[in-house]
Amino acid sequence: MSTFEDLQSQWKNQPEPQLPRKGSEMIIGKVTELKRKQRIANLVLSVTILILIGFFMYISAYKESRVMWALFLMIATLIVRVIIEAFSIRWINKLKMAMNAHLFRERLIDYYKGRAWVHYVITPLLILAYIYGFMVLLPFFKASLSHGFYTYIVISSIVSLIVLGTFIAKQIRKEMRILGKLKNM
Amino acid sequence: MKELKSFFEEVYRSNYPKVVRLCMGYLNGDGDMAKDVAQEVFVKVWQHLESFREESSISTWIYRISVNTCLLHIRDNKKKKVGSVERMKDIEDETDDVSKTGQLDQLYQCINSLSSTNRSVILLELEGLPQKEIADIMGISHEAIRTRIHRIKNELTKCIHHVDV
Repeated sequence: MSTFEDLQSQWKNQPEPQLPRKGSEMIIGKVTELKRKQRIANLVLSVTILILIGFFMYISAYKESRVMWALFLMIATLIVRVIIEAFSIRWINKLKMAMNAHLFRERLIDYYKGRAWVHYVITPLLILAYIYGFMVLLPFFKASLSHGFYTYIVISSIVSLIVLGTFIAKQIRKEMRILGKLKNM
Repeated sequence: MKELKSFFEEVYRSNYPKVVRLCMGYLNGDGDMAKDVAQEVFVKVWQHLESFREESSISTWIYRISVNTCLLHIRDNKKKKVGSVERMKDIEDETDDVSKTGQLDQLYQCINSLSSTNRSVILLELEGLPQKEIADIMGISHEAIRTRIHRIKNELTKCIHHVDV
């Protein structure tokens, strides 16, 4: 029967992993690249919001108050969702990696508890607000669009909602499984 | 900046092998994934190197980052079983004999059956770190670590014997 000392010597005698060529330079390059991508993502998000506002003004939605509020509601729910996701990514990236493992685990549990709150409270509210905004717009679509296009919009919206709902449900299940694992460590 | 880069280069050279080894232990011997996680560890080391305060040794600091990064990877660890053939490719040592790799497989398998915290503790013990340092990395008292290590050692040797039979 192997003793622990045998296992330890087996462990220490395993072949050394090869050092990648120019590994440290690659890491430094990767960090610079990550920062650049972060800047681009922020830019894309800002431009998207500006385009949405521009579109809002272009179709003169503000002249029809019901249309204005419905559109505003839909755009606002999307923006809030994007901001929450960006905030979550920032939260997990800002975790101090050099803290001890016990504290780190606690912080990670806090993070996933925060995510649970987003998933179970905020997301359903946002989805309901989005659906409400869409329903308010439907009579206006019906009055101004062809029957075919109107049907297309209704059907594609239902399909998108089902796909999005399934995706969110999967994500929630995955994150809650991780939370369970972390709590039982 | 140039000084920091050369310090990082030195830190990278001297710590890369042990970080990969630790990650492999954490990830059931998956060499490719261990290299990816090790790269992630050094990305974090580079990002925070300026804030390293020398309150602990650089090696302890890197071990903390490594253990926490591996912990983050339970997010997508699918408990992939890695065969000895794949690992033999990973370790890039064609002269190594099959039975040695088989024994390592068993060890990885048994480590993988432990809880995440126990896995970290025993991997640091296998690396030969003093128990006080392990306690510091894990954020558990020295006394509790000593008892825990004793228990995991028994668990691990029993598991290896069981796999042997």
